[in-house]
Amino acid sequence: MSQSNESAQGPSRRRLLKAGLAGTLAGGLVTGRALAAGDPAITDIQDWNRYSGPGVDAQPYGTPSPYEKTVIRRNVPWLTADPVSSVNFTPLHALDGIITPNGLCFERHHAGVAEIDPAAHRLMINGLVETPLVFTMADLARFPRTNRIYFLECAANSGMEWRGAQLNGCQFTHGMVHCVMYTGVPLRAVLAEAGLKPGATWLLAEGADAAAMTRSIPLEKALDDCMIAFAMNGEALRPEQGYPIRLVVPGWEGNMWVKWLRRLELGDQPWQQREETSKYTDLLASGKARRFTWAMEVKSVITSPSPQAPVRHGRGRLVISGLAWTGNGRIAQVDVTIDGGRNWTAARIDGPSLPHALHRFYLEHDWDGSALFLQSRAIDEKGYVQPTKDALRAARGSNSIYHNNGIQTWYVGTDGVVENVEIS
Amino acid sequence: MLKFLEATAIAAVAAAALCGGAVAQDAGAGKRTFAKCAACHAVGPGARHRVGPELNDLIGRTAGSIEGYRYSPAMTKAGQGGLVWTAETLQSYLADPKAVVPGTKMTFAGLKKADELANIVAYLGTFATTAAAPPSAAEATPPLAAPAAAATPGAATPGAGHVLRLGRQATPEEIAAWDIDIRPDGLGLPKGKGTVAQGGEIYEAKCAACHGGFGESVGRWPVLAGGQDTLQNDRPEKTIGSYWPFLSTVYDYVRRAMPFGDARSLSDDDVYALTAYLLYLNDIVTDENFVLSDENFTAVKMPNAANFIDDDRAQEAHYHTGAAPCMTACRPGTATIKTHAAVLDVTPEEGGDDRQPAAGIQ
Repeated sequence: MSQSNESAQGPSRRRLLKAGLAGTLAGGLVTGRALAAGDPAITDIQDWNRYSGPGVDAQPYGTPSPYEKTVIRRNVPWLTADPVSSVNFTPLHALDGIITPNGLCFERHHAGVAEIDPAAHRLMINGLVETPLVFTMADLARFPRTNRIYFLECAANSGMEWRGAQLNGCQFTHGMVHCVMYTGVPLRAVLAEAGLKPGATWLLAEGADAAAMTRSIPLEKALDDCMIAFAMNGEALRPEQGYPIRLVVPGWEGNMWVKWLRRLELGDQPWQQREETSKYTDLLASGKARRFTWAMEVKSVITSPSPQAPVRHGRGRLVISGLAWTGNGRIAQVDVTIDGGRNWTAARIDGPSLPHALHRFYLEHDWDGSALFLQSRAIDEKGYVQPTKDALRAARGSNSIYHNNGIQTWYVGTDGVVENVEIS
Repeated sequence: MLKFLEATAIAAVAAAALCGGAVAQDAGAGKRTFAKCAACHAVGPGARHRVGPELNDLIGRTAGSIEGYRYSPAMTKAGQGGLVWTAETLQSYLADPKAVVPGTKMTFAGLKKADELANIVAYLGTFATTAAAPPSAAEATPPLAAPAAAATPGAATPGAGHVLRLGRQATPEEIAAWDIDIRPDGLGLPKGKGTVAQGGEIYEAKCAACHGGFGESVGRWPVLAGGQDTLQNDRPEKTIGSYWPFLSTVYDYVRRAMPFGDARSLSDDDVYALTAYLLYLNDIVTDENFVLSDENFTAVKMPNAANFIDDDRAQEAHYHTGAAPCMTACRPGTATIKTHAAVLDVTPEEGGDDRQPAAGIQ
């Protein structure tokens, strides 16, 4: 089970870091003493065991248990000027498996959520095509469909950590990633309706939001595995994820997955839009900046234990769990260290191993109660090994903002409290 | 895929050169030329696949798409890549099949005469049996008829798409309404002009509240001016003048997304004036009477344009250690903490008391 039941009522993380877990562990001891007479969870008749509950008409669209109320997206108010052009974070520390629930997928908008009536939404294809076309949403539903599970990671995920450990929680350090099953149509099939003209080598995707978000995408990628998706995890896209349609660009940075997609233009060169020049370019120590850094690199993080999911059960059996992903396809291996990278153990990947999808890993560990320096290191099927943060800084400096895939360190104190640290 | 496109482009140029621009099309003459093809291809009522696929409804068909015929993998791939048979692509292909679709199993060497190419395409065009018009004639279709019909259950009509007959043709007015993007080469720039002084007035009224009177920004809104020679600093300031490689991006972005919360409210001349003012705030132009227009726009070069490089992450040393990842005794000594997140203590908590670090992200 997740740690969230306790954290819902538990002390704040900041207080935990100062005072440790002693208070909450004492609560556990009370339960231990009570066992002589039997656990009241068993010996008492609970309300839910006595009284009938809500009927089938109580919640036409279901919501999580009230005991999971802290498992929510959170934002970092100081990060951006205005919540309308900002980001919130997936609560990775409280989730398991590889699929992110729709309501918990992180959001990043540049001008808020476009609230679109699908009957008034169109998709246009223009530029270097034989016939410029307009599709209704009903038209798109008549194309052959495909279902694919993909991660989506913002290029700025972990961007606040370039200068050193800053945020206490993998929700904040790594929560700009989610993974769902998309249903949609292959982009190439939609483009074929318009017929590409010779010379078309680039695609501009444009959203219908108030930022009219645009990105240039090389045609080779567009014709390879991109999709126009209208559903996620079996239901219509959520408004904040691009309802009624979004572009899916597997393995590439989230900004390119244009939401509220309304237009595809074909051309013979990139458009050099704001989000591929001023933003989403990676400034190096030399003063040069990399552009068109589309692919997300091999990356992993331990989601539990982590600062928001401390070890509350004391020494003994401990499940170390995390996520790994790569824009290069599948994850081949994940290693975990408990001593800050001196010795590594191969973790167990459980669940589907799909290209461009999150992978869930576990390492079952007998904790002796001593302090741990937990790290995970992912290796992808192309042989890329997740680098250390020091190696990344040596290559790039500290001002890239984007594409920080460095190895994360969690310090687990003897009291089970977990903190984001960097180590030597 | 891209190879195919390049080959098509080359062949198309060759075909255009052969055609010399205007060649009369004669379907009757094309029928005689088709004798060279008839050994392998059937056309007309009841036509079936032979050595080659049947050629009814060829114009508008996606290459390699007819069921029941075994195409070469190259032809199937070309179709998946977007190759659709139009008068233009078909002439290119028939002029030099192996150049346009390398790996095609059609052994035909190609038609070398421009009139033969035009005639045979005209002849094949007479074997259109579906109701939908070929793309070249689609302008004649009332553009809004299709969606109206589609809205009526059971009355869906074939659309303008080349493969599945989905969608309808976009009108020039619709394309003009949405296609507002500007490229560095000036493609998309509207007619218009504006001065630095005019831009200053608009800026004061509509931009300064967030971006500051001199582009220095308020709060965490983007800084627009200054920052020259800071890109190697510990705290670089990435502004239009210090960082942005293309002026077209300024015009494009202001026109599509600014002012924040009131996008698309500026006139084209307003955007020229604002762009001129942003150049002035960044000392790229110094004359308040400078006029920026569609005529001199592409002559303005941005100072940092040369400092962008392509993605070379894969060449970084840490990805090329040449060794399998170390599993035991990988580092000496025991781990010691260099930095704590708790020292900064900026992680949000329920109920507030949040502190702010020196810098966020935009």
